[in-house]
Amino acid sequence: MFSNLIKSLTVGAAVAMSSVVPAVADNDGPILVVSGPLSWPFFAAVKQGFDEGAETFGIDYQYIAVTDTSNMTSDYPRLLQQAISRNPSMLLVGEFFPDGMDPLIREATAAGIPVLIHNSGQTLWQDNGSIGFIGEDPFQMGYKAGEIQAEAGVKLGLCFNQVPGNPTVEERCNGFVAAMEAAGVETIYQTIGTGDATNPQAMTQAIKGTLQANPGIDGIYTLNAVPAMSALRAVDEVGRKGDVLIGTADLSNEALIAIKNGDLAFAMDQQPYLQGFMSMQVAFQFLNYGLQPIGHVKTGPLVIDSSNVDATLEVNKKHAGVRGAS
Amino acid sequence: MTKYLKKPETGAFAAFLLTYVFFALATPGTGFVSINGTAGWLNLAAELGIVAIPVGLLMISGEFDLSIGSTVGAASMILALGTNQFGGPTWPMIVLALTAGGLIGLCNGLVVVKTKLPSFIVTLATNFIVIGATMGTSRLIANVTSSSIFASDSAKMVFAFRWGQANISILWWLLIAFIGYRVLSRTAFGNWIYATGGNEDSARAAGVPVERVKITLFVATGVAAALVGILQGIQWNSGNSTYGMGYVFQAPIVAVIGGVLLTGGYGSVVGIVFGTALFGVISSGIFYTGWNTDWIQLFLGLLLALAVLANNYVRRLALTSK
Repeated sequence: MFSNLIKSLTVGAAVAMSSVVPAVADNDGPILVVSGPLSWPFFAAVKQGFDEGAETFGIDYQYIAVTDTSNMTSDYPRLLQQAISRNPSMLLVGEFFPDGMDPLIREATAAGIPVLIHNSGQTLWQDNGSIGFIGEDPFQMGYKAGEIQAEAGVKLGLCFNQVPGNPTVEERCNGFVAAMEAAGVETIYQTIGTGDATNPQAMTQAIKGTLQANPGIDGIYTLNAVPAMSALRAVDEVGRKGDVLIGTADLSNEALIAIKNGDLAFAMDQQPYLQGFMSMQVAFQFLNYGLQPIGHVKTGPLVIDSSNVDATLEVNKKHAGVRGAS
Repeated sequence: MTKYLKKPETGAFAAFLLTYVFFALATPGTGFVSINGTAGWLNLAAELGIVAIPVGLLMISGEFDLSIGSTVGAASMILALGTNQFGGPTWPMIVLALTAGGLIGLCNGLVVVKTKLPSFIVTLATNFIVIGATMGTSRLIANVTSSSIFASDSAKMVFAFRWGQANISILWWLLIAFIGYRVLSRTAFGNWIYATGGNEDSARAAGVPVERVKITLFVATGVAAALVGILQGIQWNSGNSTYGMGYVFQAPIVAVIGGVLLTGGYGSVVGIVFGTALFGVISSGIFYTGWNTDWIQLFLGLLLALAVLANNYVRRLALTSK
């Protein structure tokens, strides 16, 4: 059944190919994408970008990701190794875990496989032989959030990390802390047990406890839209609604509605769809015409606040998932 | 006195009390012992407790269910897709979600009973199958893996009502605890559960319908997991295929803290309730201490180990006393 599915997908791609211009040149290997888990709305949007890019340019590709997110640090290098061994015509990689993945990318580029990095790996692509990078700088994303909070007059900021141990996500907190420190604002860094990363109730109680233990907290930065909702509830439960400025990375419909209602100050959009779509575009143009962007292509952060939230909500209604939330 | 000491829940109660007093003393002036602080850890314990009770009963009968995690997420997504993408009415979607949970349990039960494979492996496989199917289906239908839920007011009343900061899930927990308690200690079916987990062959020889006991408990576990998915989904206005993944191991852990033997045949519902309450107190109270959260899992692990040791000590004391 699965092979049938693949067959029908390939046929579909072939039909699309004949309608668009040239097919992928000499190298006969597949285009392989090693990217994030689809259980995260964020990467669901990245994949949607890849899918629609592939359709637009009439190319075929395969998306490779973990399904179990508990051992990503060791799983991703393994997935990448397997992808390289299939001798792809091009590799589109999210370099989430550089320690394990960077040596493999160097091997791939040394063997002549063109590699394009997306999402994570913004400081590494120039040295490992990749042709370019499309995505966010998580440190800059957190830094921007810190600047907004410091400017708003926050005196003690909390960065809540629901997935401790993920270096990319941790960089957002590092950026937040750096921006706050630069403005002379104190910060607290909080994590939660790994089993509770997807339990909004557990995150609420954790943030509630921290707010009680540190009554001075007047700003919270969460790294995903689900904990952002938990932070709203926690602030409300300790009776400090309106006194604590809450902002988050990434989007969800609930988060956008909360921005509209004035409960959430901002959400940082790194435009995941663009990371997928533009990667596919670069792959097509590189393989066929030898064209490539020069330098880092930034897709984020785009700050969503009360000024532009309505337009974003409207897109969410019409095109579910494109903005990484619905 | 010894009669009470010999009950499986005594150790769990002692460990719970010890933990609670510890956090009450370690978090002065932070409101952990206040009504709102208490509502906080009860809310946390209630959602875990609803699924931990049938999981505990299943463990007493000698089986595991690791598929609860993805069943929670699947139920919340059924409700989300049903009410959002398809614009369906809330209550039929709730029934559909509960039915799906029951069917997942039925599959688990049938496969375990027919193949005699360890339920640990069978339900672990189900856990992957269900989360994969949930994600695949929701991507296919709506291009998302999490989605808003639009619940009717009556459904919000039943599944997300709050008194102050206490969720209605606490009542659901107590209700399921009461049913579980009655079934386990007051009915023939309860005796069958103990007999099945104690020694399956002699239970069968004595005429206990071992297969039926197991399948019924698997179905109950699936329905309870779906109920948690509905409670979380309506409370947070959002379905998410990854909701509940933490419960896969938290539920058996609290059952064991509550005095259930991993090998089956021994345990009580009251014990599981105290085990869950203890887990709620630790995982919420630890944040009221203001300790550096980089060490949080270390504290959590140490406190759990201490609680189980205390529980075990009290139980041994009880069983050896005349």
